[in-house]
Amino acid sequence: MERLLAVWVEEIAAESPEGGTVRMNIALHEALTLLCPFTEIIRLGLFVLPVRGPSRFFGGEEAVLHAVLQCVFDVTSRRARVGVAEGLFCAELSAKAELVIAPGESDAFRRTQPLEVLGRKDLAATGHRLGIHSVGAFADIAPARIAERFNRHAFVLHRVARGELSEIPGQRDTSLTRRITRLNDSGESVREQLGFFGQRGAGEIRAEEAAKRVRHRLGPESIQVANVAAGRTPQDRTAMVPWGSPAAMRDSGAPWPGQVGHPSPVTALRHPITVQLRDEFDQPIRVGERGLLSATPAYIMFTPPQRRSITWHAGPWPLVERWWQQSRRRAQLQILLDGGEAMLLANENQAWWLTGIYD
Amino acid sequence: MFASAHPRPPLSAELIAKVRPIALATTKTLPLGEPWREMVSGGALRRGTTTVVDAAPGQGGLSLALGLVGAASVKGHWVGVVGVDDPGVVAMTDLGVDLRRVLFVPRPRGAWAESTADLLDGVDLVIVRPPSIPAHGAVRKLMDRVRERGAVLIALSEPRSPWPLPADLSFKITHSEWRASSRLEGRQVTIVLGGRGSAHNTTEHIAMLPSALGKGEK
Repeated sequence: MERLLAVWVEEIAAESPEGGTVRMNIALHEALTLLCPFTEIIRLGLFVLPVRGPSRFFGGEEAVLHAVLQCVFDVTSRRARVGVAEGLFCAELSAKAELVIAPGESDAFRRTQPLEVLGRKDLAATGHRLGIHSVGAFADIAPARIAERFNRHAFVLHRVARGELSEIPGQRDTSLTRRITRLNDSGESVREQLGFFGQRGAGEIRAEEAAKRVRHRLGPESIQVANVAAGRTPQDRTAMVPWGSPAAMRDSGAPWPGQVGHPSPVTALRHPITVQLRDEFDQPIRVGERGLLSATPAYIMFTPPQRRSITWHAGPWPLVERWWQQSRRRAQLQILLDGGEAMLLANENQAWWLTGIYD
Repeated sequence: MFASAHPRPPLSAELIAKVRPIALATTKTLPLGEPWREMVSGGALRRGTTTVVDAAPGQGGLSLALGLVGAASVKGHWVGVVGVDDPGVVAMTDLGVDLRRVLFVPRPRGAWAESTADLLDGVDLVIVRPPSIPAHGAVRKLMDRVRERGAVLIALSEPRSPWPLPADLSFKITHSEWRASSRLEGRQVTIVLGGRGSAHNTTEHIAMLPSALGKGEK
């Protein structure tokens, strides 16, 4: 039987009407999964992890126990009871007794337990009447005699008592595992990274530590987070805020007139660069009253002087933003250069700006 | 008496320090999305490895790098992006990146390698575009750090700032061509995939960037 470390947290074993206990269990399961990815939640308040793998890493079972206790306390502010034994049934008993059963001793440990631990009052009552008070005494009854003295539930429990089965019926809450699996969905063992129900996951905590180091190194504005904001131009829609500042904006999802649409430039210049747009006769390109270009763009000039040929363009798309404000007439234009680069330009008051690069 | 009533105390630093290196078989890789999954042997990015995305400016290198981290970010992994000034966050969303788990260091100035190392300690994937020619020694140290931390580093290599060491995996964009009608629609890139170890045979692939072409227009 597999050697298991069981974690029993009595205070979170009963389901609360508002569902907080389940959330607490999930949060704890998530944290324990960080210690050992194979941590299982058996039912509310009871978790097991195979102890051989992690104990090699942490340097012995003692250290694993310590790490687990610390973890439970960090997450739930409760004290857990932990124990180690072979098989789920013994592991739970060892946790409740707070014992580490030496390898190979789980049989002896189980045999000393009172009959009640098998979880059926009727069986215990019958046993006591027959002078059978311990799991060991029950196990010693020949299997053929069980039916004579006990009801049908006794068969399975007898096998558990004899160490032929590792868990008793009802020990594991299968519907709970299903519920949690549904919540965790993906099925990949990356779920430990995620925080549940707005709680912070371990991944976030680690990332935060790293962010602090960068901020310490480069200053408060150096590390940023992004969010997609509502707006018409890639600049309007790029909200970069220093990490740690109050939360950024949300995308309202509303359709915005003049938005160029998918794909969007991967580089959205925060400070657009002024450029010149020329036709084949080297005349400046203007945007007319009706939103049309004065000629076909042939060249783009960057400063410092650099001239590139334009092989294709699309637009201009007028930005009908603040249409009442005559001074703010803007339009966007997509261009392709001879080297294959794609760019997004904006025109405002007959000046052209490079606003985005599709890298 | 439930968790959200009292903010959950953070895991102790000691515990976090112990936690990090336990990457058992199932967590030794970070997931890749389409179409990258089919190209890379194993269909995922192995922790502890460095991937180089080699492309001339404007050929889609940044889009490709962002595409590589998309699936992992959606699955809950944190991503750092160093040296990409003025990131277009709409484009990143289109490339499948979950921005809630991305930390940007847009202008690391002279400290790009140090900031990358800082992030490698805490996030699972880091995209770095060195603002200057990356020095041999700094790159070696970073790649060692990646291996030690079990993170994944994706380095952008451009002609003006080539990545000086061979990587575990390399995507080289050899050709890039925009599809356009009344506006830009998407870019078809030819990728030569190579690298060390199991990926030593180079293979050629064609992909669209962004790969979710038309997704936003339904």
